[in-house]
Formats: sequence, structure tokens, C-alpha cells
Amino acid sequence: AAMLRALRRCRPGPVPLPALAAALGPGPVPGLCPGWSPRAVPARGRKTRHDPPAKSKAGRVKLPPPVDPEELLVVLERYRQHRLVLSALRAEFRAEVLQKKREERLAAEGSVEELEEHRRLMAWNDEENARQRARREERARKEEEEQKRRKLEIAEKQAKKMEAFMEEKEKEVLQLQEEAKNFITPENLEARIQECLDSPRNYNFAIDRDGRIVKRTVLS
Amino acid sequence: MPMKGRFPVRRTLQYLSQGDVVFKSSVKVMTVNYNTAGELSEGARKFVFFNIPQIQYKNPWVQIMLFRNMTPSPFLRFYLDNGEQVLVDVEDKTNKEITEHVKKILGKSKEMLEKEERERKKLSNPATFGPKKYHLRECMCEIEGQVPCPAFVPLPKEMRGKYKAAMKNEA
Repeated sequence: AAMLRALRRCRPGPVPLPALAAALGPGPVPGLCPGWSPRAVPARGRKTRHDPPAKSKAGRVKLPPPVDPEELLVVLERYRQHRLVLSALRAEFRAEVLQKKREERLAAEGSVEELEEHRRLMAWNDEENARQRARREERARKEEEEQKRRKLEIAEKQAKKMEAFMEEKEKEVLQLQEEAKNFITPENLEARIQECLDSPRNYNFAIDRDGRIVKRTVLS
Repeated sequence: MPMKGRFPVRRTLQYLSQGDVVFKSSVKVMTVNYNTAGELSEGARKFVFFNIPQIQYKNPWVQIMLFRNMTPSPFLRFYLDNGEQVLVDVEDKTNKEITEHVKKILGKSKEMLEKEERERKKLSNPATFGPKKYHLRECMCEIEGQVPCPAFVPLPKEMRGKYKAAMKNEA
């Protein structure tokens, strides 16, 4: 038959339901049970789980507490309804709180004045950027001018240097040309030799401490 | 204990809590592009060195990223949660000017901060006592004007249970 699982042990069977003398309060081991438990709770006490049970417990049959089926049904039904109502209330309150929070957040963020303020600040920021850009362009322009001026100066200096150099070279060339007139060429070789032989030069001279030259010896 | 870094004062709580830039809740990411060399980037460098720790301390949920030597001029970029990007040019500005600018455009105003402070105060009542995590005082005995803790000052006889029981037994 359709029976609740909890009632299965209540059917008549080989094992009689012993009248469990109610040992209310702390169970088999008084020292260890938590104070709030109404019935016996399995607690280990002295032995570990690997120790064998005592000889006096050899024929012991542990039975669950007896259950009145009608009472059980009633109690379960009541609990079901209670829990249903409670969880519904909780869900209701939770939803309400979330809704309130969401509304508050939206109100705080998306209010018109705030958006307006934001837009104003962004506009101000754009202006500031524009000003910065103007300043930067000004700076860049000045830099360019500076560069150009410097380049011009350098070019001028270079030109001057080139001119000076050219002048030097010109002078040298002219000097060379002048000297070229007195060069000894194969044509006037004979003439020059004759000239030199005709005009003997006297290198015999003495020099005193003041640098004056004294020429006394006569060329013979 | 040795101090770490060139300006260890940046690591002190007092310095960090002196930062006054608290971003609005819509700012999610802050990006700083700056150069490690150059006169014009000097303000940005100082900003990164001195002011960013303060900002991060006050805004732990804002992501701050630094990019070095990627662009010729330094700038800040803020990414808001509605997709908007705010560009701030910081070339040739001192770090103080930069913080002022940022505070003006994206920082919470003083009134807003005070309002939030007041809201927070409303949540907890300083008069209650309980666990240290939630309250200022743990036991009634710590409150001024109340009976002091019997651990330090013994209770007068009349308040003690054993005296009262003795009296009852006598009577």
C-alpha cells in the first residue's frame, strides 16, 4: 500500500517494538552530548569505531522511535504548509529589497541633473583640450621658426667660409702666377746660367751680436 | 627596517589617504600614456610617480594602466561604463594641474562624498555594543557611566548572587 517510508517500521513484524523507556536528556554518554538534544544521540565516548561492541550488547536490536501514522501525517502536512509560507515570504521580501536597491541605483545614476553636469564637464574638458592643442601648435610653430632661423644662419656662415676660402685660393694662384714669371724654363736656361755666372755673389759676411751684417772680404 | 624605493613616503598610509580624487562610479579604466624622457612629459611623469598611488588607494576597483614611450605626447584616457572615452591632454602641465583637472571632470564632489559618509554612518549605531567586527565596544561594562567590569573592579556585595542568596537563606 502507499505508505510513507517512515511508517514502514510500524507494521507488525518479527521484531516487537520495545517500549523504549524514555531516557530523556543526554543519552548513553552523559558527558558528551550537546545540552540541547532531547533524545539519545550516538556518541562515541571511550571506544573508537574499530573497537568491537560489548558482550552485553550482543542481542541488542536498535529500533527507531515509534511513530503514530495519523499524527505523522498531520505534522508533516503542517510543516509543509509552514515552510511553504515562510519561503514565499522570504522570496517576497528579497525581491522587494532588490527592487528598492535597483531603483535607488538607477535614480542615483541616471538622474537628469547628473547627466547634464556630466555633459557640461565633458564640454569643459574638450575646451581644455582645444586650448592645449592651440598651445602645442604655437610651440611647434615657434620651434619651426627657430629651426629655420638656425638653418639660415648656418647657411650664411657656410657661404662666408666658402668665400673666404675662395679668396685665399685666388691669392695663392695670383702669387704663383707672379712667381711663375721668374721660373727657369728650358728656353731661358742658358740665359739664366750666363746671368748667374756674370754676377758673382759674395756670401762671406760676418754677423755681430746685434745682428748687423759686416761684409769686408772681397771676392777674388 | 630599511625603507624601500626612492620616495618611501609614497608607501605610507597617511600619504595615500591624503589623495582627494575619488572617481565617479561610472569610471572603470584609466590609461596613462607618457614618455620617460622630455621636458613636456615631466608633469605626467610626476603625476604617475606621486599621485597615481593615491588615486588607486582611493579607487581600488578602477583599473589603471600605464604605457611608456608609445606616443609623442602624453595624455590620459578614461573609459566609462557606458562606452564613453574621455581624453585628457596633459602635455606641458604640472602634476598638480593634472590632478585638479581630473578631479574636476570625473571626481566625486565634496558634497557627494559627505553625503555618502553620512549614509554609511546611518547604517551602524555607535551606541550599540557587540562583536568587535560590527561595533565599537564589546560589552556593556566598557561603556562610560555603566557598571565597570567585575574582572577589574569587584561588584558591591549587594549585587552579588552569593550575598543575595545568603540573605534569602537567612530570612
